[in-house]
Order: sequence, then C-alpha cells, then structure tokens
Amino acid sequence: MLQERKEFESLIHAIIGEHLATEAKQWLEEKAMLVREEKTASNLNLGFVTVPRKTGRQPVHITTDQQREIAEQIDGFSINGWPVDKLSRLWLLMQVNDSEKSIYINKIENLFKAAEMNELVALYASLPSFAYPEEWQLRCAEGIRSNIGNVLEAIMYHNPYPAKHLPEKAWNQLVLKAFFTDKNINSIIGVDERANKELASILIDYAHERWAARRTVNPHLWRLVSKFIDDTNFADIEKVFKIGDGTEKKAAALACYYSNFQPARQLLEQETGLTKDIEENKLSWTNI
Amino acid sequence: MCCSSFDGENYQEPVKAGLWDAGSIKGMRFFDPHVHMTSRTTDDYQAMFDAGVVALIEPAFWLGQPRTGIDSFRDYYSSLVGWERFRSSQFGIKHYCTIGLNSREANNEALAEQVMEILPLFIYKEGVVGIGEIGFDDQTAAEEKYYRAQLELAKEAGLPIQIHTPHRDKKRGTTRSMDIALEHGISADMVIIDHNNEETVKEVLDRGFWAAFTIYPFTKMGNERMVDIVKEYGPDRIMVNSAADWGISDPLAVPKTAALMKLRGISNEDIQLVTYANAIAAFGKSGQIDEADFEVIKTVDQSVKFEGNTVLRGGQQPRIDKSSIIIS
Repeated sequence: MLQERKEFESLIHAIIGEHLATEAKQWLEEKAMLVREEKTASNLNLGFVTVPRKTGRQPVHITTDQQREIAEQIDGFSINGWPVDKLSRLWLLMQVNDSEKSIYINKIENLFKAAEMNELVALYASLPSFAYPEEWQLRCAEGIRSNIGNVLEAIMYHNPYPAKHLPEKAWNQLVLKAFFTDKNINSIIGVDERANKELASILIDYAHERWAARRTVNPHLWRLVSKFIDDTNFADIEKVFKIGDGTEKKAAALACYYSNFQPARQLLEQETGLTKDIEENKLSWTNI
Repeated sequence: MCCSSFDGENYQEPVKAGLWDAGSIKGMRFFDPHVHMTSRTTDDYQAMFDAGVVALIEPAFWLGQPRTGIDSFRDYYSSLVGWERFRSSQFGIKHYCTIGLNSREANNEALAEQVMEILPLFIYKEGVVGIGEIGFDDQTAAEEKYYRAQLELAKEAGLPIQIHTPHRDKKRGTTRSMDIALEHGISADMVIIDHNNEETVKEVLDRGFWAAFTIYPFTKMGNERMVDIVKEYGPDRIMVNSAADWGISDPLAVPKTAALMKLRGISNEDIQLVTYANAIAAFGKSGQIDEADFEVIKTVDQSVKFEGNTVLRGGQQPRIDKSSIIIS
C-alpha cells in the first residue's frame, strides 16, 4: 500500500474506533484480519454486507482537524455526514490484499455487481481509496448511468475520483447528469477546473431545449459556459443578461466577469452594481 | 428507454388544468408504439383498453439497473414474446415488441458481445416488429459499435428500427443517429426516431425519417406542446407514444393527447394518423402487424392459460368493479 493510502487508512481507522462500541469494534477488526489474509473473497463478501448490522448507522462526527487532514490526504475528499457503516465499509475495502491486481479488482467488482443501494453508495463513495485508480474509470462511468439519486450523489459530491481520473467524455456525462437531476453543482469537485468547450456547447443546446419547452434553466449552467463565450453563443448570454430574472441575470453577469471575450466584458460594464458585488465577493458561483 | 429517475429529475409543480374526458374520443382506436408494460399493472391495461388502446409495442430496454449476466437478457426477451404478450391479450390489447440491446448496457462490452449472439434467436419471432430501442445514451464508442452492429442485423432481417435518442446532448445525438443509419444504407422510412422535441423534429422530418414523440411528464414532451407541433408540421410521419415505464409516466398519454388535439381543433383524420395509423404504417413494414388481430383479441377470455398460468387467481372474475369499496 502506498504511504499516503496507509496514512489515510489509519486516520479512518481511528475515526471508526471513536464511534463503535467494543463489540462492534472487535467484530470489524477480526473481519479485517480475515479479509487481509484470505485468498478467496468469502470473508470480504460476508463482512461487507454485514457491516450495518454490527456497526449501526449513526452519523460520524469528526473534528475540523480530522476533516482538514482527510481533504489533504485525498484531495478534497470529505466524509462529513457519513453514517458509520459507510465509513466502516470503506475501511474494510481498504483491507483487501492488492498485491495481485486482477484478483483485487475482481473481488471489489463482484461486490458492485451484487450490491443493494446503500452498498452501491458506499462502494462508489470509496472509489478514491481504491488501489489501481486508473482501473476504475469504466466502473465510475457506469455509476453515472444510475438513476438512483443517492448513488449519483456518492459519485458527484465531495468525491475527488471523477475529476482526477475520468476522461473528458465521461466527465461531461457526470456534469450533464448533475444538471438533469438537479444536483448541487457546488458539491462537485473540479467542476470549474474541468470545464471544457465541448461541455459548454452541449449545455447551450440543452438550454435551448429547456427554453423551447418553456422550462427554467439552472443558472449554474452559465458557469460552465463562461470561459467559452464566443461569437457563436454570445447572443444567448446577452439574452439571459437582458431578460433573465434576478438570479439568471446574476449568473450571466458572473459568466461575463470570468470571460475573456471582449463583448461579454462590455456587456457587464452596463451593470456596475453587479461588477462591484462580484469584486467584493458578495456575488459568486457559490452564493448565487 | 425512458425517462425518469427517482430523484426529482427536473421536477416541476404540476399545473392544474381541465379534466380528461374520454367521452370526446369515444369510438377512436389508438396504437401506443412505445410503452414498457412489464413495469405496469393490470389496472393500467384495463384503463388503456377502456380508453381505446387496441394495440401497443413494448421496446426492449434496460431494467433500471444494469444486468450482470446473459441469462437475464435471455429471460427478459423471452418474457416480451411470452408472458407479457399473453398478459396483454388477457386485457384485450394486441402486444408487439421490438428487440434489441439498449444503449446503456452496450457499455458493458463483455456482456454486449454475448447479447449480440442471442439476438437472432428473438428478432425473427412472430410479433417482433423491429429492432429497438437502440441508439445512443452517453454517446460512447461502445454504444456506437453495438448501434452499428444492430443496424446491420435489422437490415439483414428487413426490420424497422426504433431509435432512442439521448437525454443529454440530444440534438447532436439525434443527428448522429440518423447519419449512421444512412451510412449503413438503411432507408429513412425504416427508421423511427423516438423522443423528439421542438429542437429535433424539423431535421428528422426533413431527412425523411419517422418522428415519434414521447408524452412524458416533466422530462420530455407535454401534450400541449405536442398539439402545437402537429399544428406546425402537420400529421405526416409523426406519431405519439407514452413510453410509460416505472417512472412517473402515463399509460393513457396517447388517448389523452388525442382528446386534447380534438379540443384544440385538430381534425379526427389527423388525430388518427398521429395516434394510430402512422405507427402501424411504420412498424407494419416488418410484415408482422395485421389490424384484423386487434378485433379478434378484444373478445377476451381471461381463463386462457400460458404455460399453465392464467392472470386470474382462485376463481377471480375477469373484471372487477372499481367503484366498489369492497375488494373481494
């Protein structure tokens, strides 16, 4: 196990220890030992499903120091609000012997294939802690195809895996799906950094579709268009800026503010009040 | 495959409007060319029958979560030509299906290969009126690969193709689906492009394809918008379906849309084209649809059995009185 994974593993171990009663703790330690030593997957399979019965589902409370440490060890990762069974499952998965790649991957893949909803949530949320990170791209893309809200959130929210490892097409699907299912865009790690022209153009088509159906458009959509405003789409930004409601207008203003396209900058100059709010951080993508 | 997830995909508050009056379309016959009856109840079958739905097509799709083995596919296809068709007949509705590997599950290539191998066992069966629903979802390379392979299969079998267009990046996905079909030498009139909207309809019709519209609350078309489209483009090569499935959808979407069209001044003749005749003309190219069957099946004998099973349980009467508070 890599050094940073080891440090993360022991931190999680400590946090679980603070939350479990002696009996549950003993059970988990014992299962972990068997999982580390076994060639087959029988203890893993049994242990993984049984976790909530032994640990309960009470929420985990962590200190701000622990929170900071986790986010540093696995970029931006957060376990805030996790129930203890979910965290115990993550830790148990980290005990699987990873010395032989294909055996390790098969063991975990088989858990995905037989998983019920809470297990899927734990598995997908644990993606950033798996060994051989590059091997889980297809699995992550498969998870984004899910129509189960909790499962999508396990991948989208505070999970650094997608931004770090997904190829552009799969990443774009994640962001599109987030818009289609009304997810909180602010909780997606890397959403601004991985903005791209292709995604911007798909999102603009989507906005046109929503308008044709007389439906509203999520103002965060313009956040991902911002860096790619050009002659082809400026009319759309202008439209939102001029006839949008309060939030839409603010979104258009933010999009213009972060754009290098000259006409967009000029458009923003018409509203000195909004520019001032942005400069003073009274208006931003996180507080819109 | 449609449409809904259970996490409030673009949820909007329902708008209060007029009540639906089946009386206005009494005597009309409807054909719903896209409805996933496997996930609907017997109440739905009865309500559809009562509203004038005489026949339907159930496209093969995914089951809300990915299948993990070939036998699940085999049993599913087999149920579409077996138990579900029988169940439908017990409610007086002629059941057809389209068979195919849906785009989402095309992404599991190891499994997709096995599915391609068993598809020929099903596509030539009686009552299979097309290859469907196939096409793009995420628009990945694997989706394209199996879309192309199934177009070839359809060409060889002389079957119509029912194309699911993606939710995300819809406009380009729709264009691409049509480009690829033509590239394989398939005639546009053998292809039904499904889940259209205001942004896609023009190109689909201009290029000579059939344009299907899914009336599905919140995520796809509303029927008021549908009425506007028929007014703008006329009734030719347009058809309406419900795509009702396990999500919040409406198996009466076709008759309700007909009623709304009537209310908004569209002629009976045009209504019948978009809610009945066009779908039969398109999928009838399979040689598998005979309108005479719709009448035969209406005389329901619910005591008939399928492999020893009937839809009736322990001396049940064929129909129950829905207005009674007593369920006996």
